[in-house]
Amino acid sequence: MTNTDVRGVPPAESARHDAENSIPASHAARHDGPRGYFLLKVWLTWVALFALLAAACVGLKLDLGFVAQKLPYLLGLRLAPNGFIQGAALTLLVTCCSMVFAMLVAILTAFGRMSSNPVAFALASFYASLFRGTPLLVQVLIIYLALPQVGIVLGALSSGLIALSLNYGAYLAETIRSGMMAVPHGQREAAMALALPPWLVFWKVTGPQALRLIIPPAGALFVSMLKDSSLVSIMGLWELNFLAQAYARATYHYMEMLIAAALIYWAMSIAFEMVQLRLERRFGRSLAWQARR
Amino acid sequence: MRLLVSLLLIGACAAQARAGSTLQRVEQRGVLHDALVDDYPPFGFIDANNELAGFDVDVARAVAARLGVKLDLATPGWETIVSGRWQGRWDICICSMSPTEERAKVLDFPVRYYNSPAVLVVNKNEQRIHSVADISGKRVGVGTGSSYESYLNKALSIPGAAPIAYPFHDVIVIPGDETVNFRNLALGPGLRLDAIVSDIATARTAIDSTHALKIVGDVLYAEPDVVATEKGDPEWNTTVARAVDALKADGTLAKIARRWFDADITLDEH
Repeated sequence: MTNTDVRGVPPAESARHDAENSIPASHAARHDGPRGYFLLKVWLTWVALFALLAAACVGLKLDLGFVAQKLPYLLGLRLAPNGFIQGAALTLLVTCCSMVFAMLVAILTAFGRMSSNPVAFALASFYASLFRGTPLLVQVLIIYLALPQVGIVLGALSSGLIALSLNYGAYLAETIRSGMMAVPHGQREAAMALALPPWLVFWKVTGPQALRLIIPPAGALFVSMLKDSSLVSIMGLWELNFLAQAYARATYHYMEMLIAAALIYWAMSIAFEMVQLRLERRFGRSLAWQARR
Repeated sequence: MRLLVSLLLIGACAAQARAGSTLQRVEQRGVLHDALVDDYPPFGFIDANNELAGFDVDVARAVAARLGVKLDLATPGWETIVSGRWQGRWDICICSMSPTEERAKVLDFPVRYYNSPAVLVVNKNEQRIHSVADISGKRVGVGTGSSYESYLNKALSIPGAAPIAYPFHDVIVIPGDETVNFRNLALGPGLRLDAIVSDIATARTAIDSTHALKIVGDVLYAEPDVVATEKGDPEWNTTVARAVDALKADGTLAKIARRWFDADITLDEH
């Protein structure tokens, strides 16, 4: 049974409705329809803009030999002197771990926000308000610098992970909640009318439909987290931003190092966005299929 | 949430386990955890091979070798180090720290390992500033949380040293990363900064690397630099002091100093 079978809407009408509203469906239309040149033109414009940017960088007369010399360290292909990973590899580790923790926290918080239990609701809304209402940098500093004052000493890496997870978990909880709320009530009722147990209603009917709505903003949050992971450099973690600044300071090659770091962050963001797009297509696949019909 | 709570608990337990005596901890683990800064050439910086290098690093290596333990270096940032309450994160800081009364409240200073006076640095094209008496109303850069910052705020007090003169008023103190400050001063006189107060050794390194700076006037004040430990383990302090004194006596410190500077900055009087 797919989630479209229980919608109780005529297939043709449902398809038209979704083709107008969902990104994956309209993408599919571009591939096949008369606007087939659209993507080609998009790519050509991108290439032209990229060439312009590259030309600007060449115009700055950057010391590319220096960049090449530092690139293996920036990318994290070599280990730091203390044997730990560094550079972009550490940035990715921090981001991916925080992502997993943030998702766990966010799911719990979202259920708390939708709970009829007042204590659960209060806990969830209090946490979300606190962590969305204070700057991430202040949270990082409190966890790393202030907690030792009361005897709780966390390492630089765990401090960074906790700060990023708690901060982004609070935002992600709202995203998840809004996704769940946006699934029409009739979906659940129809599934229950078919005598599906509650967990199956969530797993097969409301969950997948909510995910379709959650994935685009959640993807944007994770891209943002990737860049905010540079904040952990203030605790002496040798991640991408820390190394770029350290090399720049030592040699006064600020332009080279900061542009190199920016490009590496950008490339990683693009990779994240591609994963997001795949997930978006996967969870919107029923709609894309209908739109083509 | 539960996972994070247990993470926090694990962290707290680890802190408890680490809270014992520093000496015990170092002996048990066979590792000396040394905190230093990576933005203070030639004392501590990241070299071309991505390794931490500098005078402080070499001294730390010698101390660890003397104690017969491995060395582990961390670069947590200056403010984190001088604010104390390490709670076992690090065992020692061989990081060019000046012993001020403020810092002595949260840290112990078992032994001095070099002397390096403070100087005033200006752009080489500077015409208006000839000595520290000319910096009134000027923008002067210092390392954030450094003893030079306290000096410009007329609040520096080095235990056991003569009171310091402050022949200036209304200085605009610009705290920041010292290396970045030097670069800003090198851009031109008065462009971003008018002057910098720093240690003579870091000043000379900056002069050599930028070719755009100079030292003016006399030495501002003599400044000892000490090894710092977390407050409250006299046994560990004695062990550290004995190790450093032994390195002084057998000429190791002098050898390291000559590797990085023209002069032996570890002598008692500079």
